[in-house]
Amino acid sequence: MNEITPEIDRPHIPWPSHEDGGRGSLWNYFLLASLVVLFIWSYQGSEIRLAQLFSREGGGEILSYIKKLFPPDFSPPVLREAFRGAIETFAISFIGTLLAVVIALSVVFFASRNLIFSGLLYEMEPRRGWRRTLRLLPYLCAKSLLNLLRTIPEMVWALIFVFLVGLGPFPGVLALGIHTGGVLGKLFGEVLEDVDAQPIESLQSTGANRLQILFYSILPQVLPQFISYTLYRWEVNIRVAAVLGFVGAGGLGQRIHIAINLFFGNQLLTLIIAIYILVTAVDYLSAYLRRKVI
Amino acid sequence: MDQYRLEKVSKIFDRRLVAVDGIDLGVQRGERVALIGPSGAGKTTLFRMLNCTLRPTAGRLWINGDEVVTLHGKRLREARRKIGTIYQQHNLVPRLKVVHNVLAGNLGQWSTVRSLSSLFRPVDLELANRALRQVGIEEKIFARTDELSGGQQQRVAIARVLMQDPEAILADEPVSSVDPSLATVIVKLLIEISQKTRKTLLINLHGVDLALAYFPRVVGIKNGKALFDLPPDKVSDSLLEELYSGHLPDNQENGLTDEESKPLVYQ
Amino acid sequence: MRNPSLSSISRSEKSLFPYLFGLIFLVGFLDSWWRAEVRPLAFFEKEGREHLWKFLSGMFPPDLSWNFLSLMLHPALETIQISVMGTFIAVVIGFPFGIIGTRTFSVGGVLNEADVKGSPSRFVLRWSGYVMARGVLSLFRSIPEFVWAFMFVRAVGLGAFSGVLAIGVAYGGMLGKVYSEIFEGVNYRPLEALQSTGANKLQIFFYGWLPQILPNFVSYTLYRWECAVRASAILGLVGAGGLGTQIEISMRMFDFREVLTILIILFFMVAAVDYISARVRALL
Repeated sequence: MNEITPEIDRPHIPWPSHEDGGRGSLWNYFLLASLVVLFIWSYQGSEIRLAQLFSREGGGEILSYIKKLFPPDFSPPVLREAFRGAIETFAISFIGTLLAVVIALSVVFFASRNLIFSGLLYEMEPRRGWRRTLRLLPYLCAKSLLNLLRTIPEMVWALIFVFLVGLGPFPGVLALGIHTGGVLGKLFGEVLEDVDAQPIESLQSTGANRLQILFYSILPQVLPQFISYTLYRWEVNIRVAAVLGFVGAGGLGQRIHIAINLFFGNQLLTLIIAIYILVTAVDYLSAYLRRKVI
Repeated sequence: MDQYRLEKVSKIFDRRLVAVDGIDLGVQRGERVALIGPSGAGKTTLFRMLNCTLRPTAGRLWINGDEVVTLHGKRLREARRKIGTIYQQHNLVPRLKVVHNVLAGNLGQWSTVRSLSSLFRPVDLELANRALRQVGIEEKIFARTDELSGGQQQRVAIARVLMQDPEAILADEPVSSVDPSLATVIVKLLIEISQKTRKTLLINLHGVDLALAYFPRVVGIKNGKALFDLPPDKVSDSLLEELYSGHLPDNQENGLTDEESKPLVYQ
Repeated sequence: MRNPSLSSISRSEKSLFPYLFGLIFLVGFLDSWWRAEVRPLAFFEKEGREHLWKFLSGMFPPDLSWNFLSLMLHPALETIQISVMGTFIAVVIGFPFGIIGTRTFSVGGVLNEADVKGSPSRFVLRWSGYVMARGVLSLFRSIPEFVWAFMFVRAVGLGAFSGVLAIGVAYGGMLGKVYSEIFEGVNYRPLEALQSTGANKLQIFFYGWLPQILPNFVSYTLYRWECAVRASAILGLVGAGGLGTQIEISMRMFDFREVLTILIILFFMVAAVDYISARVRALL
């Protein structure tokens, strides 16, 4: 630290600095330029009419639409229907998330690299040959299965399952379970691959086999995170379950679909309030459980 | 004229943690005062009240003749501008370049727009350069702050205060995180700055030797109270022994800073 | 799922909680099972089997004719465009509301202590701003983007614009909430130092806050963009432009070859976007 400044008098200090000159800054400019291009292209392509939104007619249209929603319809039959829809939505999200956990747990152990073919557990195994291929195969299968489940959005799964098993909440459950299974599988896999290796090493040195290591060292480490991720996905799923009905998969969405198409504005507002309450309640419940678990 | 006047100033965190317990103190403009005492005695909390970060729970505190409870908004910021603080952990913004951290001393004078534009193209580069030259690290002007060593970062923090050009400098344990040989250099630097521009200097020191060697007035703080307030030649060994006796190190001074740092769960 | 979670709880605190929780869980499970009309054997029933076979065999080979692909090009690009503009609007909404909705920025913590204490008018002003920002964010994100899209289609008409607005509003709520969490997670020491130079709130924000959270901020926004691509791909189901409309049409016409083609397009699109956003993130 005690190096005394080499007294080079620099009357003019150049900016930007020398350190990140050349290639770095060129790359940054390129990135910035492509961002601008992307933005302009998107702006033109997505038919944005902000002027219309804030003009008198456009704004008036929206305002009159909002006005039609008020006051919410709190008559007993509508309330009962909203309540039934909310319960059904809850049920869909609940069973769907459980299904997702089952799917994720049954696949994820094959899809995490450190459990199935490389790393500490396989340090002493042959690096080449058919046994390694044998281990690689389930890994690749599991990985691509999870990718497949994850890439197709819930709504598309719901469309497919409505065709396969008919209208009602059940296809919603399947859609949620399948898609979320893929998502949770990926998240769980990341947790498993991040697991602290030292306890594993010490267990392995006692002569434990891999299943024993899994139950005694790995699972206890990752379980809180698994639960926390599951709860978080449940929060997402309650929102999705509320709209699955748009494609005929039950819950509040079905009733909203009807209310919007038949221009029952006041009922629509009631249902939206129901969604808001349901979603907020589940958020709180999930946050509470997460605190309990961690 | 009084720089500071304190009457029975106390600070209590969360209604139970007494950090500062009824301190009376007066500091003249241009005076140099060293505060010593065990860690956890409330020195840092006292400084955070003196630079208008915390508000006293009880008692009265005047800065430049203004009582702090009457300061809000613009006047509060103006009062803060006139007091420069050097912190124990430098408190620099790590990802910013050194030049911005130094120029941040100007924020109190700059308009918001000017300070924003300076982030893209620094204004007053000359001034920043001069401040850094004064502390001897002008070559680091465009380095990222977190790439510097602890001692260098402390110099950047001093340069920031130079930039701010306050009437009073509060230095809260400015040398406790640098190695001892450097500590003397930094303390001397601070004294030199305050002498040259007739600034008030309040310093919080862990090392008793430095305080006794360089400051005409030494205040001993223990359990949130002022134990003595004497010139260095009157500070006897028995007083020092009393100051540091029965002291259990604890960390109660961070009442308001360490509430952050909860893990983020991404949705 | 149930047993492990229970055991970890009961170990941490011995109470009635695990039993109560187990009971509620079980009842909720059975009730939900019944309400969701779960039929575990649906795919083994005759009808389900037939439909499954019809679907799977109907998908192959995917329709890769030039005619159909060129027809899909525009909706696919439109999906990307919707996602970009939607995310942009979401940032425009989420950023300011997220700042005001940050407790340590608006009402509490070391940055407000000296200013707010002893000044009731400031106190009320700050709190009302904070509560309002939180409320708006919570409203925006609690209503799913699908419902927003449906309403915007009614309000501004069919097409991409309503998709953009729907994503902008719903994602604005989510971004705002997470932004405020990111803002709250910073190191406050530098902010305190900046404040002591006499800087105002906005200056503190730009000099102390933003540099600290920038990487997190960008990476979370990118992540949301990835989600927005998926979302805008299906918003078309309610007429808000993009690929969704095509999926719906093909599905209604039972043309599963086209469905598979669209899914493949979607797969590559999502993969490409994920790749781009990972590359950008690596730059940080």
